[in-house]
Amino acid sequence: MTDSPSETTSPPADAASSADDTAELAAAVAAAVGGTVAQAEFGTAKVAVERGNWSAAITAARDEAGLDFFNWLSAIDWTKETTLGEGVAEPDAVEERFEVLCMLSTLTDSRKVIFSVDLAKDDASLPSLTPLFGGAEWHERETAEMFGIDFAGHPNPVKLYLPSEFEGHPLLKSFPLLSREVKPWPGKVDVEDMPSTENPEAPPAEAAAENDDGASE
Amino acid sequence: MTTPPEVMMHLSEAAVSVELETAEMTLNIGPQHPSTHGVLRLVAKVDGERVSEVEPVIGYMHRGYEKLTEVRTYPQITALVNRIDWVSGFANEIPFMVAAERLMGVEAPPRAQYIRLILTEMARISSHLIFASSYPLEIGAATPLMHALRERERILDLLESVTGGRFHPNFNRIGGVKPAAGAGATTKKVSQDLPAGFLDETKVAMERVVSVCDDLDGLVSGNEIFQARTKGVGVIPVDIAKSYGVSGPNLRASGVAFDIRKVDDYLPYDRFDFDVAVGENGDCWDRYQVRLEEIRQAARIITQAIDDIPSGDLQAKVPRIIKVPQGQTYVRAENPKGEMGYFVVSEGGRIPYRVKIRTASFSNLSILQWILKGILIPDIIAILGSLDFVLGDVDR
Amino acid sequence: MILALEINFWLLLVIKMGLIAAVISGAALVAIFGELKISAHMQSRIGPYFAGGRFGWAQPIADGVKFFQKEDLMPDDADPFVYKAAPYVVLGGTVATFVIIPWGPDLSVRDLDLGLFYLLAVSSISTIGVLMAGWSSANKYSLMGGLRAAGQLIAYELPLVLAAVGVAIQAGTMSLGGIVEAQTHTVWTIGSVDIALPYVLGGQLIGFVIFITASLAELSRTPFDMPIAESELVSGYMTEYSGFRFAAFFLGEYAGMIALAAIASTLFLGGFWIPGVSADTLQYLGPLVLAAKMGALIFLFIWMRWTFPRLREDQLQSLAWRWLIPAALLNIAVTAVFKVVF
Repeated sequence: MTDSPSETTSPPADAASSADDTAELAAAVAAAVGGTVAQAEFGTAKVAVERGNWSAAITAARDEAGLDFFNWLSAIDWTKETTLGEGVAEPDAVEERFEVLCMLSTLTDSRKVIFSVDLAKDDASLPSLTPLFGGAEWHERETAEMFGIDFAGHPNPVKLYLPSEFEGHPLLKSFPLLSREVKPWPGKVDVEDMPSTENPEAPPAEAAAENDDGASE
Repeated sequence: MTTPPEVMMHLSEAAVSVELETAEMTLNIGPQHPSTHGVLRLVAKVDGERVSEVEPVIGYMHRGYEKLTEVRTYPQITALVNRIDWVSGFANEIPFMVAAERLMGVEAPPRAQYIRLILTEMARISSHLIFASSYPLEIGAATPLMHALRERERILDLLESVTGGRFHPNFNRIGGVKPAAGAGATTKKVSQDLPAGFLDETKVAMERVVSVCDDLDGLVSGNEIFQARTKGVGVIPVDIAKSYGVSGPNLRASGVAFDIRKVDDYLPYDRFDFDVAVGENGDCWDRYQVRLEEIRQAARIITQAIDDIPSGDLQAKVPRIIKVPQGQTYVRAENPKGEMGYFVVSEGGRIPYRVKIRTASFSNLSILQWILKGILIPDIIAILGSLDFVLGDVDR
Repeated sequence: MILALEINFWLLLVIKMGLIAAVISGAALVAIFGELKISAHMQSRIGPYFAGGRFGWAQPIADGVKFFQKEDLMPDDADPFVYKAAPYVVLGGTVATFVIIPWGPDLSVRDLDLGLFYLLAVSSISTIGVLMAGWSSANKYSLMGGLRAAGQLIAYELPLVLAAVGVAIQAGTMSLGGIVEAQTHTVWTIGSVDIALPYVLGGQLIGFVIFITASLAELSRTPFDMPIAESELVSGYMTEYSGFRFAAFFLGEYAGMIALAAIASTLFLGGFWIPGVSADTLQYLGPLVLAAKMGALIFLFIWMRWTFPRLREDQLQSLAWRWLIPAALLNIAVTAVFKVVF
């Protein structure tokens, strides 16, 4: 933290030491679980794990590295092209895959590590972590419905957030945000006429503003 | 460790259930219900008053935050994220801001950090006062609601005077907080950033808040009926809490003295003197007591911060159009409901590639299926209330 | 009636019933208004503010008018006859208890010799009405509320009855007029002053506490309002009722509160009697005295409702069966011993 009150910006005084801590943590955990250090900057330790080693690695993290607090589990959809927002910085350098992330931390100090495993898109399945952590149940259900990843051995693989008739996996980069583009307007459904006005026939114009970059700030 | 709930049937009930054949009824609690803190649906199989199994159905408020963050610029996301946990609006923005700043290599100036800290603690008090008012109401006492909310109005008025909004402040900016209100291209930046008298009024409000905590202690905590309804009900053992990711006051009530404010450095909490409220048994009573104590500690932090606040700029120098360099980072904060974190994946550019929002109530609520087995129906309400979740936080 | 006129028995009866109806409605309105205002001031609010000037006295009347003009709804699956009859059964059971309440030395609709017995029997009819409402609403929440109510009302009948029995033993009569008269008997003589004590001070304190607790439970008021637990069952057995039928339930609840307050005042607080006033004056002053005592008890009921949380069903039952009934039985035993020995 800065000392003099009138300074405006300066990098954190102990950034160097905390960066070292992160690097140390990442290296130690990677060694304990049999993975490799994927990142140790910005205060975030990320350990990459092989797909076949997923359950064993998480078990080792919990039992040997002391990371017994299940924080969250989710995924990233890496694609070369995207229909909305901005995509990856270098599309050619990116490999199309799912990266499943599981973060574990401790309740004794500030250690937290993200474990990542890469899955091919056409074979997106992973063993479920529910035998190890009860909380994985809901997180895996959400990841499964948002990305289409299959978690083998999950006790209750039904959709968590979305209605059961929902088609598609929303968080994929290929899933457009304009819902009416995917499904047409269902028409007059259960709607009574107002006493003296008419119902509009045309669907409301969906704001195409999501794709516009708003003015800054 | 703890008696499995199924075994805790009263002896007389055991005798009756042998002689009488009763059928199980499926009762739908919610999604519209006075006590489910929003649109939560519990499909409960009940046998008389005893619940054998509960299946929670969520997603009625799913707004697609994570998809939205893939099409919004960083400043636009600021306006969105305080609506995740709308009760403690300001606190939701902080981890995201710090994550973006960390990736940019920018740090907010000290005055901005102090203001962020003060407003976060005020959001904590506001959220816990809502809990302190609505939880006794669910147990049946209608009067604490009014007293706690009266003090909360003070806090909300103060928040409004600074940020312009009671629930959705939009006060954070990348690199600090919003510069002086009313300063624009044509007006001279004359006024101080915080409204005149804000700091003094906040101190007075803190004294009132502590006194209402004492009132609530007398009115609610000392009441034998309240104690009978909450002691020993809904115990969360520590290993279950760890396995499901329960955080915040729910975790501390089970005896774990873990507070992210003490271990992480997203805001300058290490400059202030405060205690971490810890419970003993992890039942509803402890969760209630921990939150009341946290209100007191938050008032303590705010009073210290007000005495100590430095002068200076409110926002670091950042470019007009914010582009965050490539990188991935996870920043977490001790929100009133628990641990809230943002995992920001940036590929350079104005819009993040992926933001994973880790919300406290989602993980806190995932223990429902475990904790609601074999209890009585009124206890469902007592336990739900004591977990203090908000559906916006659960469903994002 | 004390009037020396010879009035036809049936005409007199009709007049008395009319008076009672007026008293119940009027008193219920006052009680409702009192509840609104008292609870508001306890919660640092103001309460009704607009209806009837800044004091809001017309609020209950406005509420009544609102209920009358609402649409008459009934769920499709509800049993029509039972659904429609339920509020009136509840109301009827409560109103029937007003027959024997003595407002003055000769001022009661009919001072039955078995007054107490009749009272306790008739007040149980409301329980059937509650069950009818809960079952016929075709709604699981109402059913649960109805069942909880049935369990609770039956459980708390016993302490109510037993506490009243203690009074009957001490007074030596079951007629309410006779009970009031028994409380005027001198207990001590200090100097030249004869002191007569109402039963609450004259040996029935425990009985009084039990009676009040059981009354709160009979009225389904917090801390015993599991049947209507708002935060759990929406409105319990009353969920599907709206409009005039809901008004009937509402009125029944407040009429019950008034009735039980009147009975508690009569049994324990001395009813229409205050010391130092002759029986003739009491013909006129009696109703006011009784109203004042009822007012104090109603204030107590309201106060307790807004202070305490509610007991869970099993705690409620355990309170009745394991604490109140043994205490009431002990009270009866002790009273009987004292009555016989002294």
